[in-house]
Amino acid sequence: MKQEDIILVEEPQLTLSDGFYLPQVFIGLGTTMKHMWKTIRPSGDIVVQYPEERREDRPVDEGGMLRPTYRGVHRLNKDMEGRPNCVACFMCSTACPAKCIHIEAGESPWPDREKYPVKFDIDELRCIYCGMCEEACPCDAIELTSIYKLVGTSRQEMILDKEKLLEIYDQTIDHEPM
Amino acid sequence: MIDKFFTIVPPWLIVLLVIFNVLLGAAAYLILLERKIASWTQDRIGPNRVGPAGLLQPLADGIKMFVKEDFRSKNTDKFMFTIAPIIMMLVVFTAMAVIPWGGVYQGTLTHESPDAISIPHGATLVGDPEPTGNGTEVVSTYRVPFQVFDANIGVLFLIAVLALAVYAVVFAGWASNNKYSFLGGIRAAAQMVSYEVPMGLSIITVVLMFGTLSLNEITEAQARYWFGFIPAWNIFCQPLAFIMFLICLHAEANRAPFDLAEAEQELVGGYHTEYSSMRLGLLLMGEYVGMVITSAVLVALFLGGWHFPGLTGNVDPANPSVTTSLLEIVLRIVVYLVKILVIIGVFMWVRWTLPRFRYDQLMNMAWRGLIPISLFGMVGTAVVIYFWNREPVDGVLLISGTQAIALLALNVIALVVFAVAAKMLPKANPNRKLQVPGSRFNPTQPATQLD
Repeated sequence: MKQEDIILVEEPQLTLSDGFYLPQVFIGLGTTMKHMWKTIRPSGDIVVQYPEERREDRPVDEGGMLRPTYRGVHRLNKDMEGRPNCVACFMCSTACPAKCIHIEAGESPWPDREKYPVKFDIDELRCIYCGMCEEACPCDAIELTSIYKLVGTSRQEMILDKEKLLEIYDQTIDHEPM
Repeated sequence: MIDKFFTIVPPWLIVLLVIFNVLLGAAAYLILLERKIASWTQDRIGPNRVGPAGLLQPLADGIKMFVKEDFRSKNTDKFMFTIAPIIMMLVVFTAMAVIPWGGVYQGTLTHESPDAISIPHGATLVGDPEPTGNGTEVVSTYRVPFQVFDANIGVLFLIAVLALAVYAVVFAGWASNNKYSFLGGIRAAAQMVSYEVPMGLSIITVVLMFGTLSLNEITEAQARYWFGFIPAWNIFCQPLAFIMFLICLHAEANRAPFDLAEAEQELVGGYHTEYSSMRLGLLLMGEYVGMVITSAVLVALFLGGWHFPGLTGNVDPANPSVTTSLLEIVLRIVVYLVKILVIIGVFMWVRWTLPRFRYDQLMNMAWRGLIPISLFGMVGTAVVIYFWNREPVDGVLLISGTQAIALLALNVIALVVFAVAAKMLPKANPNRKLQVPGSRFNPTQPATQLD
């Protein structure tokens, strides 16, 4: 470091009211009182009371959840005939920074595509919910839903397989179209 | 009817039982209030799961405290470890005795003969019993304070007893056989010694003004009016002493910004690190009950105790504390408790506003700030009062309106003087290097010897 890069900062001088503590204390008390009033006034309830009240039930401009952009549990989309859209191209598992997508490809039984996923496992405990898989997918097969309640009693249970991911599609397709 | 009842159950016993239980319950609910205020200042809602609006939270906490394991680690001093929480509770409840909760009740009793006069325990007769003309029957008038113990040295008693609370903290810290607890105990001791002084000085300011040590009389003297409408509370003529006393109470109660004895960030839990179960419960409860009691002292000394203009203390202008109505007594106790609640609210509000003082700042504030200012205020008050001859009314010297203005002017002068003097004081240098032999900052020793 060069000498001219060093900036000497003067310690700010205490004013008379700073030196007496009390005037500054009263200013601080005013600040906390303002916050207290904001919380206890009748219309001051800005916090979502979670189990009773949920973000998805609120309008977006009142702090509600924006479902289309929320990044929750994954799903595998199906086409009109109920087949998974996925063509086992491995784009998502390549893009995944957490390396949580494990695909096993097999020869497709349908004539319109070459491959299909025999196994499609996502380790929801490793996943960081970044949405890169969704962006990488060329056939809009993998998507993140707005489901954020994901519980399990073991690590094994938290690895979602193809059947489970397709089931999540059935659960969410009504309120979250592709 | 009620007077007969008082001869069996004296008023002091009623006050003792009621206030004791109210305080025990209040301590639990003050913890809830503290958590609520904490969350409001931080834009949160606070505990609201147990019962409606979280009102049963103290009960749940109490059950938790009772059923937790009472653990004592291996090398603790068993006796002192056990006695510390006991001292904590004992001290605060002893101090409760001299708080004048409800003023003085005046009642009349009919006795069968002048020889068989029985009045409630703790009461005094007013005048001689008068015959009613019905045989040997006489009627006596008695006065009894609604206070556990109407000590004429009440203020002195309070200072003495409240200062004992530090023993609990020091014992707890010492007996725990833990560095952090010990540091907490030491800090509490040094802090108490420093802050007792300005606290005592501001109490003396009040005692000087009225020439009495009885809390009952000090409260009664404040239940009057200056110029007919301003309540004669000491806060209006001694605001500086009031603020000094309030600051010292924060330090005495070991509360933020003076909670160095239990600074979580530095000392784990401070003096109660090693405590668990109901022993911890007693220490925490002692802290909150102590807050109530010290606030009660503050209210009695500076905020007119049970007096509230237009509501209580208006029955007899010449003798404001005496009343013949029990409803008035109850009203006074309620007024007193509400005032205490307001002060406690201020305590909590301050706690969630101000950051903790550094240790040298704490000491500087006491010895360079509070003590000189309160000393100036005390001497000034003494001078004003010495040159202003006052006739005692019922043994108490009263402050007139003009004297109050003089004292207020004195407070303003004190502020101005210290504003000027603070500029001229030499600055403290907390970061100076001590030239202690053996210290690595000592220039007299060559560096090689240090390794």
